[in-house]
Amino acid sequence: MRKLLLVLFCFAISIGQLTAQTKTVKGKLSDQNGNPIPNASVTIKGLKAGTTTDLDGNFTLAVPPSAKTLIFSSVNFASKEMNIADRTDFNIQLQPSANDLKEVVVTSLGITRDKRSLGYATQTIKGDAIANKGAVNVVSALQGKVSGVNITGASGSAGASVNINIRGITSFTGSNQPLFVIDGIPISNDVDRTNGGPNGTLGDNQPSNRALDIDPNSIESINILKGPAASVLYGSRAAAGAVIITTKKGSSAKGKVELVLISSYSQQHVTGLQEVQNDYGEGLAGVYNPASTSSWGPKFGSTPTVANGLLVGGVPVDYRAYPHNINDFFENAPIRENSATVNGGDAMQNFTISIANLNQKGILPNTVLKRTNLRFGANTTIGKVKLGGTITFTNTVNSGVLGGNGASALGTLAGFTRSIDLTSYKVNGTYKNPDGSNNFPIAGVENPYFGAFENPIKSNLYRFTGSVTAGYDITSWLNIGYRLGIDVYTDRRKQIFAVTAVRVPTGQVLENTIYRGEINGDLLLTAKKSDFIIKDLNISGLLGQNVNQRSFQNVQAQGDNLAFPGFYNISNATVFTNGSIESNTLRRILGYYAQASFDYKSYLFLELTGRADQSSTLPKLNNTYFYPAVSAGFIFTDALNINSDVLNYGKIRASVAKVGRDADPYLLSNVYVSSSLGNNVASFNFPLGSTAGFGASTRVAPVLPLKPEFTTSYEAGLNVGLFNSRISVDLTYFNAVSKSQIINVGLAPSTGFATKTTNTGRMTNKGVEVLINGGIISSKDVNWDLSFNYTRIVNKVTDIAPGITSFSIPGSAFTGSVPSIKIDYPFGVILGGLIPRSPSNERIINPTTGLYNPVIANQVLADPNPNYSFGFTNNIRYKAISLNFTFDFTKGGQLLSFTTAIYKSRGVLKETAVDREQPRILPGVIQVGDKFVPNNIQIPAQSYWTALGGLQSEFNVYDATVFRFREISAGFDFPADVIKRLKLKIVRFSIFAQNIFYVAPNAPFDPSVNTQGAGNIRGLDLQGAPNARTIGVNLKLSI
Amino acid sequence: MKKISILFLSLVVIITSCSKGFLDVNDTPNNPLSVPPATLLPTTTVSIAFANSNELNRATSAIVQHIAGVGNQTQAYDVYNLDGSFDNQWSLELYSGAINNLQILIDQNATANPGYSGIAKLEMAYAYSMATDLWGDVPYSQAGQGLKFEVPRFDKQEDIYQGSSTQIITSLFDLVKSGLADLARTGLLKPGAKDDIVYGGDTAKWKKMGNTLLLKFAIHISNVNPTLAKSTIQSVLTSNSFINANNLDFEVPFGASVGNQNPIYSFNNLNRLTDQMLSARLLSLSRSLNDTVRLSKFFTKPGGVFVAFDNGSTSAAPVAATRSKYNTYLTGASGEAPIRLLTNFQVNFILAEAALILGTTGDPNKYYQDGIKASMSKVGMSQADIDVYFTTNPTVVTLSGTTEDKRKQIITQKYIAWIGNGIEAFNDYRRTGYPQLTLALNALGDNPNVIPTRLPYTPAELSRNPSAPSPRPKTDVKLWWAK
Repeated sequence: MRKLLLVLFCFAISIGQLTAQTKTVKGKLSDQNGNPIPNASVTIKGLKAGTTTDLDGNFTLAVPPSAKTLIFSSVNFASKEMNIADRTDFNIQLQPSANDLKEVVVTSLGITRDKRSLGYATQTIKGDAIANKGAVNVVSALQGKVSGVNITGASGSAGASVNINIRGITSFTGSNQPLFVIDGIPISNDVDRTNGGPNGTLGDNQPSNRALDIDPNSIESINILKGPAASVLYGSRAAAGAVIITTKKGSSAKGKVELVLISSYSQQHVTGLQEVQNDYGEGLAGVYNPASTSSWGPKFGSTPTVANGLLVGGVPVDYRAYPHNINDFFENAPIRENSATVNGGDAMQNFTISIANLNQKGILPNTVLKRTNLRFGANTTIGKVKLGGTITFTNTVNSGVLGGNGASALGTLAGFTRSIDLTSYKVNGTYKNPDGSNNFPIAGVENPYFGAFENPIKSNLYRFTGSVTAGYDITSWLNIGYRLGIDVYTDRRKQIFAVTAVRVPTGQVLENTIYRGEINGDLLLTAKKSDFIIKDLNISGLLGQNVNQRSFQNVQAQGDNLAFPGFYNISNATVFTNGSIESNTLRRILGYYAQASFDYKSYLFLELTGRADQSSTLPKLNNTYFYPAVSAGFIFTDALNINSDVLNYGKIRASVAKVGRDADPYLLSNVYVSSSLGNNVASFNFPLGSTAGFGASTRVAPVLPLKPEFTTSYEAGLNVGLFNSRISVDLTYFNAVSKSQIINVGLAPSTGFATKTTNTGRMTNKGVEVLINGGIISSKDVNWDLSFNYTRIVNKVTDIAPGITSFSIPGSAFTGSVPSIKIDYPFGVILGGLIPRSPSNERIINPTTGLYNPVIANQVLADPNPNYSFGFTNNIRYKAISLNFTFDFTKGGQLLSFTTAIYKSRGVLKETAVDREQPRILPGVIQVGDKFVPNNIQIPAQSYWTALGGLQSEFNVYDATVFRFREISAGFDFPADVIKRLKLKIVRFSIFAQNIFYVAPNAPFDPSVNTQGAGNIRGLDLQGAPNARTIGVNLKLSI
Repeated sequence: MKKISILFLSLVVIITSCSKGFLDVNDTPNNPLSVPPATLLPTTTVSIAFANSNELNRATSAIVQHIAGVGNQTQAYDVYNLDGSFDNQWSLELYSGAINNLQILIDQNATANPGYSGIAKLEMAYAYSMATDLWGDVPYSQAGQGLKFEVPRFDKQEDIYQGSSTQIITSLFDLVKSGLADLARTGLLKPGAKDDIVYGGDTAKWKKMGNTLLLKFAIHISNVNPTLAKSTIQSVLTSNSFINANNLDFEVPFGASVGNQNPIYSFNNLNRLTDQMLSARLLSLSRSLNDTVRLSKFFTKPGGVFVAFDNGSTSAAPVAATRSKYNTYLTGASGEAPIRLLTNFQVNFILAEAALILGTTGDPNKYYQDGIKASMSKVGMSQADIDVYFTTNPTVVTLSGTTEDKRKQIITQKYIAWIGNGIEAFNDYRRTGYPQLTLALNALGDNPNVIPTRLPYTPAELSRNPSAPSPRPKTDVKLWWAK
């Protein structure tokens, strides 16, 4: 690597002395009505240099003498080419066009392409669509805006991770999160987990996906490469698609220096909680019981008697409702965001420096997310050489509260008794006793505030992302470039369990340091030739070489059995043998790739791509694998000279691509591990005193040489522009088959092992994506654009391994609700018990108890995969006022909600108070001889709701269909004369809101939660955090 | 131009030339590829003890009504709701924790280090007896051998106990004998004070453990193969090498520090404080025998009284702080109580029953009384208390009536002595029908009208092993050796 740098350096120096005479051109772009076109791009043909127009459509650009032609382009307009010659002033009028006509998109490896030449689907989201709208995590900012993508946040907890899958799940056990690339550098979007005590990921603080470290306001645009055809050049790393992020550059300053200040303030509130009853309090069977966590006690206002438990020793019990005790646990949490950016230069030489700070107080008590980004970037063009570099430094501090079933703050809060004054514990600080121990009136239950304040988990991450790029035009048609990217972070975490914490009663201090580092280098040779062999055939090609290294280290020291409370340093621990671990991985890939693109008369396009990877994780003799892609596009309207007012643009496209994925490191040998037994209810870890114990890992290494796994994807699409391209439609159908998956497939446990690593299994994903953009009104004063996207993806597991019908997705699960891979079902169904049914499909009731018969285990309890989803965004501008808003809708997908189950079984859900004194009959049938008759056994409300409130009961599987008013923002641009008087360039004031409201017709809570966060496990709400609504204001100044 | 081309070429050369070692980074720094036997033996020993005292113990203790379940899984087990459970026990505790590592110990040490393979075979026999006694037919002759048999056959329980030459199945008896034969040989490495956590490397004690295991197996099959049972017990008696004192008990030590505690403690005293408590039925049995002093060693008396709960009751459980829960005999003060797998009292009750039913050598009444005394002294009753009990309860401590009456007395006492080890009490109950238990209230499960006689096969084995019986036998289907 050092050698590489040296060579690069020499190569930069040797040609750095060349200089050139440049001249400056300026001008203004306007539409057919004479309105200025802001943010239009002005580029020099053949060079990558260019600029964009300001709000008034003006631009200035330094042009080297070699430049001959300028290209003017903008979204919604047909681009135009002009000869420069001696002209220095360009006043250009652009005509409206189809949206993807001459739209420049950033594809693999940062290569900008004319969108019309692509034979596969990509979607570009402009920075405006995600900046300053209240989304903290860039992934959640994309919600509702992209077709072919499923995005679900873990919860509204500060820093909670957000899951993103592009075109479905293609790997059984590998990561299905797309590759994130910032300015050409692949970065980590991993979720690093700290164990959360004995419940592991079932009860942690929902740690973030690391794309959280990106400041959404720094983004110029995001391009989503959806299929393998689009992302093949990135190789294995982008097997699940790629999210290509381009940050803002200094080139927008147009030769001046500008300072942009952005400041926003918003507030978050909890939303989506279950509605509660406030008629009945603590107790069981209508009798007050101070030791009960349920609310099956007497009705509030009942006359105190000995029988109903409200009269104790002749003294009435203080028994009343605290209607807001659950709601008030959540805080109205402010988010403050400030950033300052200095941009300077022009298309040839430019720099940008920015500092951004986010300070979010979470909706959960004692939680916070603080993010600081420092960014420096510069580009320079010296003759034929372009050099550039960026450095981003990020510090993210996140402190969280544990959730999950069993003695977490959120676990206890779910279905909290109606008659305990929870809030007073916080107000008075009495959640702990003077000796620091947990204070709660019910034995064995942890005060939720004790959990929040005394058992926190804190993460303090330092991240450095940087790149250096160099490019040289060898001739007018040949360019060589190198890009080196580095992304490293260290996340230092500390988790405390105070002495008397119910999960770890003897106390625990956990010091966890997680390191990830990625180095990525690309050497790229690109060539372009017009009129190649025959006239009007333009070709371009590239040859590249890629080096990628990823390293990971997780070192954790766990100190148990604290000597005394209140001192949470690891020196206070007396046992260090549980959970103290060290884990290191290192993996490398060498890739070689080539691409040839043919363009005939700008209406027929063909692209051939191939990549060969050599991976360190595969067997040495078998570690090279090749995968190709072919894509083609045909603009039939141009070829056939169709240009009516109705149909003015039409393209069909198709692609076939294969993408390979290597294994995880260290799967090739059988190993031993330090032994441990048990789970969260009882566990044992070696060493026993000073005696070590090792045992064989429960995984068997592959017997046959491991091969890479492959996904083959077929894609076809149609793009049309209608009514002079006021409306553009983009339809895509894809069909992907993933085969020879590298999985630790389940073995019969009686073999003595749990899994074996092998290539097996087959899974299909079929889908339709629709993207419609329309300009409804376009005039000088009023503009109304809308964008609609639709996604439907059908996933099916068609084969696992001989003799295996299902196995669990790696990760933590509760027995009885296990996220699984099951043959003939979509990926990720949750297996659990179902109540037996009669031949007429009614649930069978036990004739003696009136309750349901015990469940039959190992059935499909829930399927978390949605049927379809769509999003709808409107941008409306009236003079200086703009308004945009997004709705989205997801149909189907099921969620098993432990949370709601608890609200039922504890008699807290609103419904449980309705006619509580009346007996009830569970819906179902009773077997009498050979016949089934309707159930007529009356049971009390408590038994009824307990029967329906089993944590893993089918009655707590909810259809997650949800319509959401996702976001709205209204902006006001101060009039130009005011701004001029203030000597400013832009002043924009906006108000925004996120997650304004939702309608979930089939769930009594907001079902868009996913307790285990980003990853392959979905569809479980295990007493995690609820969602949040954000409302705020934003001010942007540019000087 | 030429300069650049040369630079480009040299770059490619540099990259490709350093690529040889570059990709050679796939040797794991995280785990060893082999380990000495001294680190495997502690794992296997703890695994069988953990399996015996964790979830399987909770389920069987509820079924035999030592305890009553008042929360979560134990409450389900209490009313025989067993389907879908025990994956971790079958998979992680028995087959991969114990059996797989025992197989590795045997395979790697049978030639050079018979001291290890001998113990491994004895532990293996113990582990498999737990499996077959709970589930009936289980993978045995083809199990625990990794990819050699990817779909292990379910061997019949009678073949597991008695062996089968046609099916090539070594009986549990022969497995023990083979272990004893290994222990008689000398080898290079030998377990020592540190890694033999039970007997500190004392081979003679392991031989006694092996012979005691033969006694246990023999009495298990006494209904169905009395001939083999009798000859086995008789020959062990002749050898006079078996566990015949409390200090020889085969019991696995645990520690007082977090992570080393026995599962009875970590479940009841740390993680699931309110899930299970004393069964009202055991309390009434104990009271009827005036045996509450011993009961107070097994269960606590908060506020000086036993507070019990009826099995399967749906009424509100007593306030947590007042409940009678496992006492320090079973939990230790901080989780350090050993898990008792083969005991002196057990041997005495076996020999009493064998002398009574099979006519083996010895006086049934003497063994019976020795068994009671061994249990009482084991739980920590003073000699004075034991003597008082014997003088004030002559009818309890003396066998009388028909053979069946006497057997009932023996097994009832064994049932009390085994409080905290539900598996052994469950075995004897199914084998003899004693003590006579009544159905839990609000019973559910495969058959809500009978107490289960086996556990259901586990979901993971059923879904991954095509040779598993399908549909699985219901929990009311009796085992081969059951009454």
